[in-house]
Amino acid sequence: MSHHQDDIEIIDRLSQKDKKALYLLYDKYSGALYGVILRMCRNQVLAEDLLQETFVKIWQKIDTYDASKGKFYTWAYRIAKNVTLNSLRKPDLLIQNEELRVDTTKTILEPEPDFTELNGAISRLEPHHQEAISLVYFRGYTHREAYEEMGVPLGTFKSFIRQALQLLRESYKHELLIIWLLLETF
Amino acid sequence: MMDRKKILEEGLLEKYILDELSAAESQQLSSIIANDEGLKKQFEALEEDFEKMAFENAIAPPGHIKIRLQKRLGESKVIPMPKSWRYAAASLTILFVLSAFWMFNRWQNSKNDFEILQEQTISLQERLNALEEDYLLTNRRLKTINGPKTIPLILDGNNLAPNSRAVAYVNHDRRIVMVNAQGLPELPDHSTYQMWSDVDGEMIDMGLLPTDEELITLKYIDKAESLNITIEPAGGNDHPTVEKLIAYVTL
Repeated sequence: MSHHQDDIEIIDRLSQKDKKALYLLYDKYSGALYGVILRMCRNQVLAEDLLQETFVKIWQKIDTYDASKGKFYTWAYRIAKNVTLNSLRKPDLLIQNEELRVDTTKTILEPEPDFTELNGAISRLEPHHQEAISLVYFRGYTHREAYEEMGVPLGTFKSFIRQALQLLRESYKHELLIIWLLLETF
Repeated sequence: MMDRKKILEEGLLEKYILDELSAAESQQLSSIIANDEGLKKQFEALEEDFEKMAFENAIAPPGHIKIRLQKRLGESKVIPMPKSWRYAAASLTILFVLSAFWMFNRWQNSKNDFEILQEQTISLQERLNALEEDYLLTNRRLKTINGPKTIPLILDGNNLAPNSRAVAYVNHDRRIVMVNAQGLPELPDHSTYQMWSDVDGEMIDMGLLPTDEELITLKYIDKAESLNITIEPAGGNDHPTVEKLIAYVTL
């Protein structure tokens, strides 16, 4: 958990208003958070603004982060999700951004990249498992909204989530085992 | 009532991570996790899995977002200088200080030179003024004694002052008498030469004759028949000491 320990030191510096600490966290986590934000809002211009906004909030609210209650990434993910969902609830802003984007940057020859595509362990799951996780984690749906979206009963949806998470767990354990074996071998 | 069983059955751990619980539920859940080692392990594993999944699906944001963030937080003003720049800046500072010091010295020297030059100029100006005055005086005297109406008269010393001579210049039109007494022998401090005009047998004082001046202007006396030089006590006399008459000339 030295990885986690590094974060604690950086976060400590961040709560003392060290901007360099924020940029270190940005370098480490901006990709993961941008992946979430972009899949949630599906608008590159807006996602860029929201990523910046997320880190401004991290800078402002770092004092409310409690390392004993969870990992920094979990906390930052919640901020990113909130920032994005709040922005999507303001339709005016979104429409403006859409118009701006269509007018200035996109042409018919350049199709929108498919941000919904998933990589890694989740991409190897069954489609319904993939979709269930994707909806709650990458699309910002609540469980209640997600099961309606999928058109399955809530109980079924919950079991999809549980199964998917178990499969992910096994997949990552397996990866860890391989890494451990490789380390042992060399 | 929230308990371990409910948490696991209803998937509250993932809802907690996904921020779907109310503030009160979150509070309750976090205190239960804190006191339940097994639940805590499970929660941490779930956090780990979600984070791994997020990293596997990371998308690199464009580089300008970080710059925008730095600008937003006012970082642009305090971008740290590369080390080599710092050395360059330090060198430039030293160079600046040295050149400022050199310039200051140069300035001080120039100031001193200027002051000397100014003093010299003033002294030259004073000398020029003195020369000019001298010239004007000489010129005036020359005009006085060199005019066609001026009569030069030689007063040779008698046996009391042999080989001595004074020269008088008389201009009756302008009523001027000037005498060069430099040809007379020097006297001790307690005595002086004095000149007199003889009018109808009476000697009238014309003034003293210092021997160290080139040309002395004396009083012009009307109807003078002769000019006479006597030796008198220092400061002059009211009546001439005729025994000490050393030279005379008739007009």
